[in-house]
Amino acid sequence: MKKIRLLLVDDEADFRTAYARRFVRRNAEITQAASGQEAIDKIRENDFDVVILDVMMPEMNGIETLRRIKAIDPTLPVIILTGHADSKVLIQGMDMGAFDFLLKPVGTDELYFKVLDAVRSRHRVQP
Amino acid sequence: MKTAIRTLFNFIHGNPEGKTEAVDTFLNKSEEFRLLLSANGKALELMAEMTEAAQTGLPSGITRVRAYSVMVASSVRQMIERLCLMAPGKYDGLRDVFNDIVLAMDQAFAGPSAPAKGPVVLALRQVRAKDMPETGSKVALLGEIRSELGLEVPHGFAITASAFRLFLESNGLDDEIGRLTQIHDGNSLTELTELGRTIRHAVDMAPMPPELEEAVEAQCERLGDIRFAVRSSALGEDSEQAGFAGQFQSVLGVRPSQILDAYRTVVASMYSATALTYVRNRGLREDEMVMAAGCMEMIDAVAGGVIYTRPPMGHSDGSLIVTAVPGLPCAVVDGSSLVDSWTVNRETGRVLDRDVAEKEIRFVLASTGKIRKEKLYGGRQLAPAISDGDAERLAAMALRIERYFGRPQDIEWAKARDGRIVILQCRPLTICDPVQPAPPVDEESRGMALLSGCIPASPGAAAGYVVKVETEEDMFRFPDGAVLLARTARPQLSALLPRAAALVAEFGSSVGHLANVAREYSIPALIGAPGAVERLAGVGMVTVNGSSGTIYLGRRQRMIDREARPPARSRTTDVGLALQGVLKHITPLNLTDPDSPEFRPENCRSLHDITRFCHEKAVFEMFAQGDRPLAGARRLAGERAMQYWLVDIGGGTRGSGGTKSITIEDVCASPMRALWYGMMAIPWEGPPAPRMDGFMSVLTSAAQNPALMPGARNDMGERNYFIVGRNYCNLQSRFGFHFCTIEGFAGDDPNSNYALFQFKGGGASLDRRHARSKLVAEILERRGFIAEIREDALFARLEGVTRRAVEQTMAILGYLLMHTRQIDMSMADPGTVIRYRDKFEADIETLLDGLDAELREGGCAA
Repeated sequence: MKKIRLLLVDDEADFRTAYARRFVRRNAEITQAASGQEAIDKIRENDFDVVILDVMMPEMNGIETLRRIKAIDPTLPVIILTGHADSKVLIQGMDMGAFDFLLKPVGTDELYFKVLDAVRSRHRVQP
Repeated sequence: MKTAIRTLFNFIHGNPEGKTEAVDTFLNKSEEFRLLLSANGKALELMAEMTEAAQTGLPSGITRVRAYSVMVASSVRQMIERLCLMAPGKYDGLRDVFNDIVLAMDQAFAGPSAPAKGPVVLALRQVRAKDMPETGSKVALLGEIRSELGLEVPHGFAITASAFRLFLESNGLDDEIGRLTQIHDGNSLTELTELGRTIRHAVDMAPMPPELEEAVEAQCERLGDIRFAVRSSALGEDSEQAGFAGQFQSVLGVRPSQILDAYRTVVASMYSATALTYVRNRGLREDEMVMAAGCMEMIDAVAGGVIYTRPPMGHSDGSLIVTAVPGLPCAVVDGSSLVDSWTVNRETGRVLDRDVAEKEIRFVLASTGKIRKEKLYGGRQLAPAISDGDAERLAAMALRIERYFGRPQDIEWAKARDGRIVILQCRPLTICDPVQPAPPVDEESRGMALLSGCIPASPGAAAGYVVKVETEEDMFRFPDGAVLLARTARPQLSALLPRAAALVAEFGSSVGHLANVAREYSIPALIGAPGAVERLAGVGMVTVNGSSGTIYLGRRQRMIDREARPPARSRTTDVGLALQGVLKHITPLNLTDPDSPEFRPENCRSLHDITRFCHEKAVFEMFAQGDRPLAGARRLAGERAMQYWLVDIGGGTRGSGGTKSITIEDVCASPMRALWYGMMAIPWEGPPAPRMDGFMSVLTSAAQNPALMPGARNDMGERNYFIVGRNYCNLQSRFGFHFCTIEGFAGDDPNSNYALFQFKGGGASLDRRHARSKLVAEILERRGFIAEIREDALFARLEGVTRRAVEQTMAILGYLLMHTRQIDMSMADPGTVIRYRDKFEADIETLLDGLDAELREGGCAA
């Protein structure tokens, strides 16, 4: 069955590796990006089904990254996954059209189901 | 999944345009509804956990409370988004209501605003008690007794609270610590140790602000080439509410050039597993912990120790206790040695009694500045560390300090080579409530004493299995409710005290850190119990009497009752207050009547109100709307199908759609046939005893029990809808408090096939509903599902399997839907759980045997 193309954006290499490893047996093909800019570049060049996005990153933060992703492809679902419990970021992110806002740590299953939900949602918001 | 949807759309495409659009809308709505229900479940579950934490008074840290609040808010916002997608433009006002509530929640978290920025260092000779908010009490009180009582204290300076805030803020360390605390979610010693390690690493890596480096350099130039003791002086440390006894590290023998490294170590010690445990148990806000430090000249002590101006055990007999060891006093406070002690009459100032211990070691300050441990030989083990005259001199000083501060004191002192007494620290002393003199020990008990004459360090009596703790590994393995047995009374052991029944240590003293913490937690403790490790290892259950200093074999319940003490005063903690504050914006339910005109977004005053509103409106949008395609819903006729309605989105049924009812025989979608077969093939027989038709009677009786109903029901929601296509079936059922979604697609391409099961609710207690979900998950996982349980909610998916596998799965799901509904009531008994599992497995075998015949009959066999 067709793999879900997932872009994982986080400046912490350990975190990306851990989730990439945990998703290996799932039906997802993970591309990693270590910064907001790298994520934008990759989204311009490739097609993704879903993005998992950290918030606190040096240089371009997650909210700014989200804004630019939505400018490039408004239908690409973005799940915010952050280590900072900040309600203002929650509101900003959801206002900007994030699919969901999750706090680390998140279990692999829970995250995978969110990814599936997000992928399904894309086809519904498309006119 | 994507492919599945596309395939679904493809076969729908054959229909007239208008109908396709309606079907699309409906399918989208149904998916949004499913996500809304899932977010609803999660929000309510998080609210329940927060409420429970507030009730038990054990919220584990402000970071966790904050994370929970944001998680609840996120789930509620998710519900709003789903509802807005179900009915575009109708409920947009909810977002503003939500934002206002969330901002109010943030207010509830705000601690006191940070004070104005002060100097980063203060010379000790300038410090007074009023400087406590900058220097912490340890350093402030030393400054106070130096200036007001003329007592000698070490030379040195304080690194202030302002310096600490500068250090944390200048390099983002505060955010990083918050982040690490959140992502290391957990309370076990293992998890806290790992958290402490990563925070300490972050502290080590953080650059020191140049302003602080320069200020420390200037102080060192002033003081010359001396050796420092860099001591923690955290704000709030040594207060009567929370002593933090020995939780934070001091670094001894520090060269001027190493002061900032030592300061880093002291700061990092706030995040040791021991300190984190203490902070959480005390309900302190970890985001408001501030570490100031005292950098004080090391005294090359010939002796040192601790003075308690009252007996800490609460026998108020007009005496004062001086303890002493030869060399540096570190061996007293860290419990690594036996100590000499003098009892001094507070009135006359004369020594009443002395107890000279056999001291094996002493600590000395080497010329390099290092602390060296020396073994004591010859007669020196038994020589008193100080003279009676010294003890009386110390007592007089101690009483002056007590009089000045107006409360009992715990004072650490050192005697220099030239005979000067230097006060190293003083703090209020925690005293246990006075105990009644112990009644004479009964004959029976005396015979069972394993060890007597131990030094009482914290009163009361308790029983438990003896568990010896020597290594860090032992600490991780320490079971709840055991008697903690240790060679020395190391302060690190305090992390275990909240879980221990009692404490027994061979070495150490009743005035050390560990004893202090045992008293704070009201755990019986004996410290100074020679031979305890050999005598108690492997004996099993013992009773420790912390008042009489005796340890008995077995549980002496009468003694435990007799020594019973009032539980440690519970007080509303800082974290508890913040949690209560934030819950005011989360849990109160003000919107109760959906039929009232007041049931409007602008009347939502809590997140709970919003969930209630969204849920009610979502059900309305989903089922009560008269619009397409439900207008075309047909009632599924048949004796046992009173409440079922069916919507054909294309190719799922035979014959014309013009009638108002339909029979199961007219359905040709194989997932629907399989599901229905699973629901009906085996009669339901489990508790309670079925009256009329089993399934319906359960629903009826449950619906009649108002205790099971959260709020009023919406009657329209009582309908259960099958949505069918040629290869597709979705069942949404809602029975008051009970939700279930079953969905399946069974086509020829395994890549498109899937089955999905969601299930939540029930009438029994949460643990039983959880047990039921676990049982169902186990059965599904054995058949290839990925299942997840949150509380009593079950989410399970199966993907990429053959058509036949989906059909079998649908039959099993139908069976489980009908047969597991009421069993939560009897899930408390493990035997019953096993019986049910065996019955279900056997039934499922039978069921699957008949499935192919059923599908052939329905004309939908492949």
